[in-house]
Amino acid sequence: MKLNIEGLLVYFPYDYIYPEQYSYMLELKRTLDAKGHGVLEMPSGTGKTISLLSLIVAYQREYPLEVTKLIYCSRTVPEIEKVVEELRKLMEFYSKETGEKNNILALALSSRKNLCVHPEVSSLRFGKEVDGKCHSLTASYIRAQRHSNPSLPSCRFYEEFDAMGKQVPLPAGVYNLDDLKDFGRRKGWCPYYLARYSILHANIIVYSYHYLLDPKIADLVSKELSKKSVVVFDEAHNIDNVCIDSMSVNITRRTLDRSQANVETLQNTILKIKETDAAKLKEEYRRLVEGLKEANVARETDIYMSNPVLPDEILQEAVPGSIRTAEHFVGFMKRFLEYLKARLRIHHVVQESAPQFLKDIFEKVCIDRKPLRFCAERLRSLLRTLEIADIADFSAITLISNFATLVSTYSKGFTIIIEPFEDRTPTIANPVLHFSCMDPSIAIKPVFERFQSVIITSGTLSPLDIYPRILDFRPVTVASFTMTLARTCLCPLVVGRGNDQVAMTSKFETREDFAVIRNYGNLLLEMSAIVPDGIVAFFTSYTYMENIVASWYEQGILENVQRNKLIFIETPDAAETSMALEKYQEACENGRGAILLSVARGKVSEGIDFVHHFGRAVIMFGVPYVYTQSRILKARLEYLRDQFQIRENDFLTFDAMRHAAQCVGRAIRGKTDYGLMIFADKRYARADKRGKLPRWIQEHLTDGSLNLTIDETVQLSKHFLRQMAHSIHDISNCNVQCFCQLNLSQEDQLGLSLLTLEQLQSEDMLQKIAQIAHQA
Amino acid sequence: MNAIPICCFTRATPNAIIFHILQFLIELHLEVDSIKMDEEPERAKRWEGGYERTWEILKEDESGSLKATVEEILFQAKRKRVFESHGQVRLGMMRHLYVVIDTSRTMEDQDLKPNRLTSTLKLVEYFVEEYFDQNPISQVGIITTKNKRAEKLTDLAGNPKKHIDALKKAKDSTCGGEPSLYNSLSLAMQTLKHMPGHSSREVLIIFSSLTTCDPANIYELVKTLKALKIRVSVIGLSAEVRVCTVLTRETGGSYHVILDESHFRELLMFHVKPPPATSSSECSLIRMGFPQHTIASISDQDAKPSFSQAHLDSTSGGPGLSMGGYFCPQCQAKYTELPVECKVCGLTLVSAPHLARSFHHLFPLEAFQESPLLLHHTERFCEACQGELKDKSVFTCPSCNSVFCVECDLFIHDTLHCCPSCIHSRSAP
Repeated sequence: MKLNIEGLLVYFPYDYIYPEQYSYMLELKRTLDAKGHGVLEMPSGTGKTISLLSLIVAYQREYPLEVTKLIYCSRTVPEIEKVVEELRKLMEFYSKETGEKNNILALALSSRKNLCVHPEVSSLRFGKEVDGKCHSLTASYIRAQRHSNPSLPSCRFYEEFDAMGKQVPLPAGVYNLDDLKDFGRRKGWCPYYLARYSILHANIIVYSYHYLLDPKIADLVSKELSKKSVVVFDEAHNIDNVCIDSMSVNITRRTLDRSQANVETLQNTILKIKETDAAKLKEEYRRLVEGLKEANVARETDIYMSNPVLPDEILQEAVPGSIRTAEHFVGFMKRFLEYLKARLRIHHVVQESAPQFLKDIFEKVCIDRKPLRFCAERLRSLLRTLEIADIADFSAITLISNFATLVSTYSKGFTIIIEPFEDRTPTIANPVLHFSCMDPSIAIKPVFERFQSVIITSGTLSPLDIYPRILDFRPVTVASFTMTLARTCLCPLVVGRGNDQVAMTSKFETREDFAVIRNYGNLLLEMSAIVPDGIVAFFTSYTYMENIVASWYEQGILENVQRNKLIFIETPDAAETSMALEKYQEACENGRGAILLSVARGKVSEGIDFVHHFGRAVIMFGVPYVYTQSRILKARLEYLRDQFQIRENDFLTFDAMRHAAQCVGRAIRGKTDYGLMIFADKRYARADKRGKLPRWIQEHLTDGSLNLTIDETVQLSKHFLRQMAHSIHDISNCNVQCFCQLNLSQEDQLGLSLLTLEQLQSEDMLQKIAQIAHQA
Repeated sequence: MNAIPICCFTRATPNAIIFHILQFLIELHLEVDSIKMDEEPERAKRWEGGYERTWEILKEDESGSLKATVEEILFQAKRKRVFESHGQVRLGMMRHLYVVIDTSRTMEDQDLKPNRLTSTLKLVEYFVEEYFDQNPISQVGIITTKNKRAEKLTDLAGNPKKHIDALKKAKDSTCGGEPSLYNSLSLAMQTLKHMPGHSSREVLIIFSSLTTCDPANIYELVKTLKALKIRVSVIGLSAEVRVCTVLTRETGGSYHVILDESHFRELLMFHVKPPPATSSSECSLIRMGFPQHTIASISDQDAKPSFSQAHLDSTSGGPGLSMGGYFCPQCQAKYTELPVECKVCGLTLVSAPHLARSFHHLFPLEAFQESPLLLHHTERFCEACQGELKDKSVFTCPSCNSVFCVECDLFIHDTLHCCPSCIHSRSAP
């Protein structure tokens, strides 16, 4: 249908629209009009993606000079592919409605591993191997060498692309990863480089967060993207952690040993080159004197991992004299490594700030701040000069040089923690140097500065005001949308007590309490008897889960549970977990019923959806606070308090609640789905916890569903499940294919949570829609 | 012996408490009755069993009274019509139905009173009676499943008495273990697949458990069932289970989950009406015998009492010897009851009224139009019972425009199957 959103003609590829989608588009349009940033929360399964795409594409068509590009960032490859498929649907609708051929180019970009078509390279299993192998075939100096020695191996796809592909732009259309591969095979061009080259003139790009947030990758891929772009971060509830991870460096003794080896290799290579080709090093020296600006114009294939956000002024300066010659630089690195080694030989935990570290290094080994800053850039230049093909080998020394650059560039926002051993195993010496970033805004700042509109959106962003604070930006719209439902398909319950009235909580003081564990066990047992098919239970940590499951086993609770359902457990091992998941789904499918015990913040809680019968109930045992004794976390909390005036407790609760919301949100993946959400901790009933849940869950959390006993919970759940089963099946005979595999009949939802165009235009519906958006 | 657990309901409104007391008193009354009948001591402690929110369906009107809602509920209960008419479609009139009753551990749950098993068996008894009343030329069999096994309680047969006896006996059996959908379905399938193609093959599962213990992949069995055109319907007693959803969707049956006992009854009654026949089922002429009931006159000197063929294999005793009966027109075997399939020659023996009773399913009476009483100024009395129209809605027959009250409307549609006023006007001239 065609919508009129405040004067903008939007093509929407479905016949029906949810009211919240309309409202979402309205807010989005206002954000784009203001050329500002936005934070929008809308529950999963309400068609966020298609609303975003149809509005922004319409905007692009209407104002081609205002918005030239849409950059859509998602988390995983399947999610990226889903977005592109939605986009394809939209484009087909456009060409059907307007009758003209579209000239929009949209494509997905992923790593070489997902895009390579070279028969040998693509058969490698790990991303790093593929990258390294590809690089050894396509690096510019390798190809230069081939001119003199044609027997060297080459990648014909890359050669073909280099020769032909750049003159002819990719024809307009929507390209998913597989489409790119097909196209590449047909033309004989390398799909990866084709995609990377094409993003410069593409209208819509769909790729992972890291291409924009990780400075090492962003510098190569996204540096030249137009300023007039709209950037969308979907599923962005963890964006601060992604930012922090991309800036943090961990150095262990192994890293140092390998760097040592790297340095030696470098030294030998330098010696060799000096004998054969001294002019090359001289040439490099000359370049370095002139400054990095020109040196930086590197060939696209030379992706030595490097250069975390170097401020522009540094790039304009020349490399300081002390590290300009190759030998001096190697000596410099050696000294730096020795210093780090010495620092790791400690017996107690040390925590210091970056300026303290710099002062110490100056006093001990006379290393100045300025050359440290150029470390990463200098190494990059050296590796290029020495024509070393396999970059994978040099990851250790690159890491060290990145650390050197970061530590000397930022005096604020980072902390250095050196731990002689892990907390769990105090007897085994395993020193680690954490250089941890505490300020997510450092990594994302260039994004906010460069692009005119950045939209942060997810199903769980509550409380909304905290994201602008920790990411340090000023949004023009902050809004939360609820789900309008034809029936109440979610049932959040807070269970606070056992049948014996003993409070249930995972609080540190009581978590080992026998009564608490028994009550948790009883809850699981009772629920396993009344909930059909799948139940997913989340614990706060692996250790806590291990303890509880062990003591359930001793008490015989597990045996009773197994009479009702099979039990599967998530482990830190990815392969084991995916096996457990597969079997879990099989058990749900064939009527045996199953329980999956997993961990908040684990793989299951983040990426796996439990639609329909795969998750009829989610039980959250305890409040998933992060491990508060960790020094990194403590440092970060302190930083947040000092810099952003966010109290420790506020942040911890916020973090715990967003993970709890993520976990319970796994069960509801759309309006036709239904599920119980059981919060098994009395602390959830408190206003400060409850208030931090997303609005669409809070809405259904009435006073009557707080602080229940197990019995009451069972009774309410039974009632809920019967009612849900009832309403689906009374209308199950309809076979109308409508929105998002809807199997509720349209008539039931129509006018209430599903709108036709006529209904949308009516006056009172517009008023209702205005209420959906909740301005924070 | 009984105490009112008001203290538990402190969050309830005063009205809710009053309602609860009322309900309590009614239950107390019932309990006294039932204790007299079957002495069940544990039933006295009902409040320990569960925390029920019976007041949640009630809503106060503007003046704070519950009267309106209670009336509304009663009216709605009367009005509910599960028998949605299909219009003119082919129906499977000769039905072969297996009722599978889950008798697993979960049937001991007390959310139906006194427990799921007793309540279910009672309703199934009623269902069997109703079923033969509406489908005289059909057959029914009963299967129970527990402890991962399935066993036949009764074979497919057209005699309600046998089934009801078996059901009554089953009340004393214990529940235990897990049910097995696979085993019960394959047991039913073994018999049903030999039934002639023109008859409808159906399985109705009353499923209380949320799990099933299957020896093999049930989806393979579902494919076989689909190929054999066996229709499987499920009534769930606890919640929606995925495997049942798929099972019923694939085989073309219906899947419902009960809300409470009265809803359970409604859902069961829904299965009394024959289902529409699939377009692919065979059409064939069926040989049927219409024996007349003959009694040898006392004056006949040669007449001797004889055994009925149906009683030969039954061990239940009963009147074995009788003077009269129905004699098969083909082989002269004697039966005391119809309908039956002749043991000797396999001919289906029915009486004409049986066929006629099955006939009304094909031409259902049209639903009467419901309209509010206020719009009716002419007639203030029901055409059928001549009582004054007091409910807020009245029902008008679309063909003769006569007005009926709710009770008469229900009676006409459920029992009479024809409009008395129409018949009257037709026969008058």
